[in-house]
Amino acid sequence: MKAFAGLHPAVTMTYFVLLLTVCMFLPHPVLQGQALVCGALTCALLCRRGAARDVGFYLPLFLLVAVTNPLFSHNGVTPLFFLNGNPVTLEALLYGLSLAAMVVGVLLWCKAYNEVMTSDKFLYLFGAVTPKLSLVLSMALRFLPAYRRQARRVSRAQKAMGLYAGSSMVCRVKNRLRVLAAMVTWSLENAMETAASMKARGYGSGKRRTHFSLFRFRPADGAFFAALLLLAAAPLAAAAAGALNFTYYPRLSQLQTTPAAWVAYAAYGLFLLLPAMWEAKEALVWRCCKRKI
Amino acid sequence: MKQDLLALFALILLAAVLISGTEVQSVDEYYRTHADEIPPQSETVTLSIRCDSVLRHYDQLDPALRSPEFVPPDGVILPPTRYLLRPGDTVFDILQRAVRQNGIQMEFQGAEKSPFGSVYVQGIHWLYEFSCGPLSGWVYRVDGAFPHYGCSRYTLQNGQTIEWIYTCELGQDVGAEWIGGQPS
Amino acid sequence: MALLQTENLSFRYPGAEKAALQGVSLSIEAGSFTVVCGPSGCGKTTLLRLFKPELAPAGEQTGRILFAGEPAASARPGAIGFVQQNPDSQIVTDKVWHELAFGLENLGLPVETIRRRVGETASFFGIQGWFRQKTDELSGGQKQLLNLAAVLMMQPRLLILDEPTSQLDPIAAADFIAALQKINRELGLTVLLAEHRLEEVFPIADRVAVLQEGRLLLHEPPRAVAPKLLSISPDHPMLHALPSAVRVWRHLAAGGACPLTVREGRRFLEERYAGVALPPPPVEAPPAGACALDVKNVWFRYEKESPDVLRGLSLRVTRGEMLCLLGGNGAGKTTALQIMAGLDRPVRGKVLLHGRELKTYRGGALYRHNLALLPQNPQTVFVKDTLRADLNEMLAAMETPPAERAGRMEQMAKELGIAHLLAAHPYDLSGGEQQKAALAKVLLSDPTVLLLDEPTKGIDAFAKRGLSELLRALTRRGMTVVAVTHDVEFAAEAADRCAFLFDGEILSVEPPRNFFAENNFYTTAANRMARGLWKTAVTCEQVAACCRAAEERL
Repeated sequence: MKAFAGLHPAVTMTYFVLLLTVCMFLPHPVLQGQALVCGALTCALLCRRGAARDVGFYLPLFLLVAVTNPLFSHNGVTPLFFLNGNPVTLEALLYGLSLAAMVVGVLLWCKAYNEVMTSDKFLYLFGAVTPKLSLVLSMALRFLPAYRRQARRVSRAQKAMGLYAGSSMVCRVKNRLRVLAAMVTWSLENAMETAASMKARGYGSGKRRTHFSLFRFRPADGAFFAALLLLAAAPLAAAAAGALNFTYYPRLSQLQTTPAAWVAYAAYGLFLLLPAMWEAKEALVWRCCKRKI
Repeated sequence: MKQDLLALFALILLAAVLISGTEVQSVDEYYRTHADEIPPQSETVTLSIRCDSVLRHYDQLDPALRSPEFVPPDGVILPPTRYLLRPGDTVFDILQRAVRQNGIQMEFQGAEKSPFGSVYVQGIHWLYEFSCGPLSGWVYRVDGAFPHYGCSRYTLQNGQTIEWIYTCELGQDVGAEWIGGQPS
Repeated sequence: MALLQTENLSFRYPGAEKAALQGVSLSIEAGSFTVVCGPSGCGKTTLLRLFKPELAPAGEQTGRILFAGEPAASARPGAIGFVQQNPDSQIVTDKVWHELAFGLENLGLPVETIRRRVGETASFFGIQGWFRQKTDELSGGQKQLLNLAAVLMMQPRLLILDEPTSQLDPIAAADFIAALQKINRELGLTVLLAEHRLEEVFPIADRVAVLQEGRLLLHEPPRAVAPKLLSISPDHPMLHALPSAVRVWRHLAAGGACPLTVREGRRFLEERYAGVALPPPPVEAPPAGACALDVKNVWFRYEKESPDVLRGLSLRVTRGEMLCLLGGNGAGKTTALQIMAGLDRPVRGKVLLHGRELKTYRGGALYRHNLALLPQNPQTVFVKDTLRADLNEMLAAMETPPAERAGRMEQMAKELGIAHLLAAHPYDLSGGEQQKAALAKVLLSDPTVLLLDEPTKGIDAFAKRGLSELLRALTRRGMTVVAVTHDVEFAAEAADRCAFLFDGEILSVEPPRNFFAENNFYTTAANRMARGLWKTAVTCEQVAACCRAAEERL
């Protein structure tokens, strides 16, 4: 998934925000089904290796959520059987399936989000809003691993000098506290030098800081952005116009087959497939290039 | 880690199902209980279920329920019917018998789960609490008065008349002066 | 034209009795490469920081500092670049590209300008390969190069560096110095460098300034430094810190032009003593005695999937010897030491201390009067607010009776020459002092086997000599010392035996003269000069002794 991850962060962010909004606020069986299937596909493309292991998590989760709902909700006109005097209905079961599709779908897309929106992209978007905060976050991301490494070094150094080398709980807690105290001093010391280095490079010279990043908004980003807005607009507009209403209780409503609904389904399907299609497009371009040589 | 959480959740669910008992009945079994023969001289009560108020607040009603199938045009879900009164029968016992004999959908929360220590009727005939505005739900009246306690704690006497009424205004639209937050 | 000029500059820290700088008048030519040296505490750092207005310490200052004819304080931000000692703490952000852009972001330059300069700088320094990496994942050498590049992004007219290579291994240090030389030669940038490792920088400098106790002792071209120092005092301590060629030259009191590099030194020796054969020196017998530490066929890797770091490492350390473990970066030296210290368990093989396997020492018995490790960074040793408290803690942990503690501490502090530092905060000490203080703390556990990780890192020539004498005194008393080091000069002087570690195993273990005589690349500068004549002359003193013997024969 290099091509999709290579898009401008603002584009990918918009994509995920719109997608998750639709996922969570438009509970329609067709849309949910699409989101689930495409989410699984996108995740499989993004992280090929972990995919098999993930099935072991998401499938049971799906079934669990699906089964839980009819056990606790007894609404619906089609009772299947009665459990302790309460009806277990077809509608509740289907509603459970829809809930499960939503939960698992949202989780899958969040996973994709995590894979694509790395910390620097997030920082970049944040920085556009508040440059100070983004610098602080960037410094924190730099500092934390250094801190962890130093803490480990200190605690090993102490151990190898025989200080609190005992294995009892009290010893370990004591050791932790000593290391922590030393780390506070180290952090301050370190911060002084970092501050000197910042000052030496003109930080706080009174000028308004620029917010630099390696990301560029290219024509391809524009194309993708336009496409995603257009495709996301269809289901949202249809929903606003009431063309995507669907209820489970007490009786399932009919699935809409109006032209507006069909357009919405198709557009949303394409919207969900955008990352995969983008990838396919890149692969195709690559192959064409190779052939020409 | 994720897997463990899942397993834990599944285990809790299983335990919950097991603890609450598992009496499984088919649909036919559940609804088959025919109306009891009422021998002369036996003690009886009369029960009716109505939802007239919904008709007056139709604009607040959940769109999915706006159909004569769920809200009868005359507001009558069950006309006044006589039922055999067995010793110790509560309002809830009679209601349950009535819905089973007439094949009316009903969902309730068991007394052990309810904060009132009594069975709480959540919905009858697919009309649920909050189905018709935020102040809606089921209440009951015995001989024209709204009791101040739960339906499974009200033991009935011969000849009493029970009405289950759907309210849209916390009882005010059906003549209850004040119902202290417990509509049934 | 002088780019930077000081006139009678004096400086005193608040509350200090002695002035840190006294009457320093120095003039740095534009485009020159100047090296500032002198023993620790001579005022190098203070002087350099005073030149950079943003970093100037607070205190009482008299005299003037002129930068391009104006007071230094009025220079535009970034006109004077400053690189500090510690590669880690100077890095501000989490990504390499962001670090490069940081200075220009502060100046509020437009994004397109920054993009261009970042690209230009990155390609000049060969940073493209790790341009998008996290700063945290870089090696020490890369980090320091990044700091240099980030400072140069600001297009300074003067570049000041305060011991930038002291935390780097020799190869990274040489790379860094080469980058500095390139900047000076190709861009004509004025460089002012404080350094205590002079072997590489001395020959490439235009001028060398020597500071002593806050005074400018001399400011001369490098070739004139040694003669001047000799004229001031024939046994000036600064002479020990000069490059090997200079040291050999001054031992001979030969007169003539002073050689600076190995190449010049070699020519100097060969012109004089070509063809003079000397009897081989007495063969150094490998130390005899019981085995203190026995490493048997140790294999190790950090993760299950990661490659092996140690592959069948075996090593026997004799009781009472000083053994130096040498090897390049990533050869597994530090890992080997951690395993000897019992901090990591070998995957295969075992380590025996005094004939007992390490893992059979339980409940801290291993580290009580048995084995101690001095880590690479002495700062990790201290956890208290004063050195005294730190040493006390160690005594308490070793269950020394309270009545004896003060005496024991006094004795140790005296022996290591840190008695005047006991009340100080450990972090306020200089590199060499920290090293000694850390050693004091470790030695209080009274170990029979002492493990040292890069003991000469970041300390100057004087401290190094002191350390090597101290270690020799300890081994004479029967302590066994194993030191992991990059520093071949130190190993040649201090070790009884040297071991060469490569690719996770030991390739050779020999007394230093034999060891370095057999090496072609991995040997001391003195040996590289003299090996064409006398293969086994390893240290400057040995080369000088050979020269004197040869004089007699001529």
